[in-house]
Amino acid sequence: MTITEKIMAYNSGRDKVTPGELVWTDVFSVMTMDYLGKETFKMFDSLGRPEVFDKDRVICVSDHLVPPPTPQFATMLNEWREAVKAHDITYFYDLGRQGIAHQIMVEQGHVLPGKISVGTDSHANTYGAVGAMGNAVAVSDAAVAMATGKSWFRVPEQVKFYVTGTWQPWVMAKDLSLHIMGMMRWNGHLIYKTLEFAGPAIDALDMAGRMTLCNMTVDLGAKNGIIAPDQRTIDFLRPVQKGTWDMIASDPDAHYEAIYEIDVTNLGPTVSRPDKLDDVVPVETVVGTKFNKAFVGTCTNGRLEDIAMVAKILEGKQVHRDVNFLLVPASTQIMKDAIKAGYISTLLDAGVAVDTPSCSACAGIHTGVAGDGDVVLSAGNRNMKGRMGSKNAAIYLTSPAVVAASALKGEIVDPRKF
Amino acid sequence: MIIKGKAWTSREYIMSFDMVVQRFWTSPIDKTENAKFIMAGVDAKYDRENAFKDEGYTFIVAAHNFAGGGKSIEHCVTGLMGAGIQTVFADSFARLQFRNAINYGLPFVTAKNVIDMVETGDELEYNLETCELKNLTNGQSMMTAPVAPFVAEVAKAGGLMDFIRQKIKDGTVGELR
Ligand code: SF4
Repeated sequence: MTITEKIMAYNSGRDKVTPGELVWTDVFSVMTMDYLGKETFKMFDSLGRPEVFDKDRVICVSDHLVPPPTPQFATMLNEWREAVKAHDITYFYDLGRQGIAHQIMVEQGHVLPGKISVGTDSHANTYGAVGAMGNAVAVSDAAVAMATGKSWFRVPEQVKFYVTGTWQPWVMAKDLSLHIMGMMRWNGHLIYKTLEFAGPAIDALDMAGRMTLCNMTVDLGAKNGIIAPDQRTIDFLRPVQKGTWDMIASDPDAHYEAIYEIDVTNLGPTVSRPDKLDDVVPVETVVGTKFNKAFVGTCTNGRLEDIAMVAKILEGKQVHRDVNFLLVPASTQIMKDAIKAGYISTLLDAGVAVDTPSCSACAGIHTGVAGDGDVVLSAGNRNMKGRMGSKNAAIYLTSPAVVAASALKGEIVDPRKF
Repeated sequence: MIIKGKAWTSREYIMSFDMVVQRFWTSPIDKTENAKFIMAGVDAKYDRENAFKDEGYTFIVAAHNFAGGGKSIEHCVTGLMGAGIQTVFADSFARLQFRNAINYGLPFVTAKNVIDMVETGDELEYNLETCELKNLTNGQSMMTAPVAPFVAEVAKAGGLMDFIRQKIKDGTVGELR
């Protein structure tokens, strides 16, 4: 059996499961956040259960709209806080302790290997980085899971990416995500499937890289991504884990719908061109493209390792005068660590604006949104028209390394040559 | 049960964030309200109150990754239902909206290459029991994937929320497997 089949079977009290089957499984944790949270609790209240299934395992996070940009959103956040308080939720990461929900879920140990978690946001598949099954659901599913500790799932078909070779300097997990995007396109091959990542180049990836890789599987149209836990996972989770867990992995003879092999030795910095995520090219193709906004942050690339990469490139240098560079750490913990490591002062010295943790410019509804005519070079995850604000802005997606190196010149450069 | 009516088709990726455009992402869930501007981003002509609904479709026929783009909003499904859509056929569906559809009792039915036998405006007839889809306009027909029993059960209960309410009332939540 694959790790995914084992997880679904184990959590549904079955010996085995078959792709295509619909099963109810136990849910370890349920995440909901500011802009859908009030609606989720309202749905929960309508189900006829006074209390959530486990107060320690319903996790509430403010991320999309903190600090609030408009009076309307401020009011919405107040109502959200009331709802969280009314349900006596143990873990509430509100402004001051906030972060992007998916970052918080992994970083604070609310998702664990071999367990199934759901969240009311599409990038809940990030949890696969620690060997958990992370599923994005809508508010009624979350309400049901909050009431019952269960959720229904279609057992997905599974595809394996066996990744070998040596990571080259300045090449990041994001480049692999975008490379896979370009290789598979949105042609149906990965729709609704689980992508399992394995192989020596995955073993070599730190937790931040694993999170990036699993995070972007939803943007490939897949159901989720998963990486079996190893020593790195144990070391990462031990200080924070909110529960116990066992090591779990796919059997050597497990069946996959397809297995793709990728050698990262030849992988270079990669860029997705505006409007269509799967319009992916090697950085060389777009070198020289001018832009006026740079953004590093989000649940994809707002981690300490990403900030470290940016700081390393910008150290002692100045961001080009035509570029507005906004960097937003994915969580308060990351902000604290980045300050301690000296990265934040390096960034400020270089002319980067650093904002308090949130989704920020990513979804075009909070801060740092794009206006007409803007060309944004972003380390985020989506670049369809209007994603970051104006429909008349263009968004290039790439790694933090490409964003940082390019920001020095005001046009896209190859970080291996800058 | 047999459903009969007119089809709207598209070979393009129909993305969830185009079905429900950004300004409605935080709207309350309400079939009639959500239907008003459904498909507003798919075609500019639908960015007018009830423009899609007024064309009177019962079916949607699409290619791959219907309602993709991973927005965890339910308005896509409630909007389609409010606009009169009773079944959606496609080669594949994006999982978030597949869930929502099942949870609200709107069948999302997998039908390989269905787009090749239907044009917008064709009259279709779909038999939910036999899973036979007939195009009454051009005489073609095909068999779709069956609808899982659980899906039928939820639809019969009037959607997931009512299904669970009943289970909570009966004290049978523990039996969900
Ligand atoms: S950072 Fe962007 S993609 Fe991630 S949860 Fe926030 S809005 Fe969504």
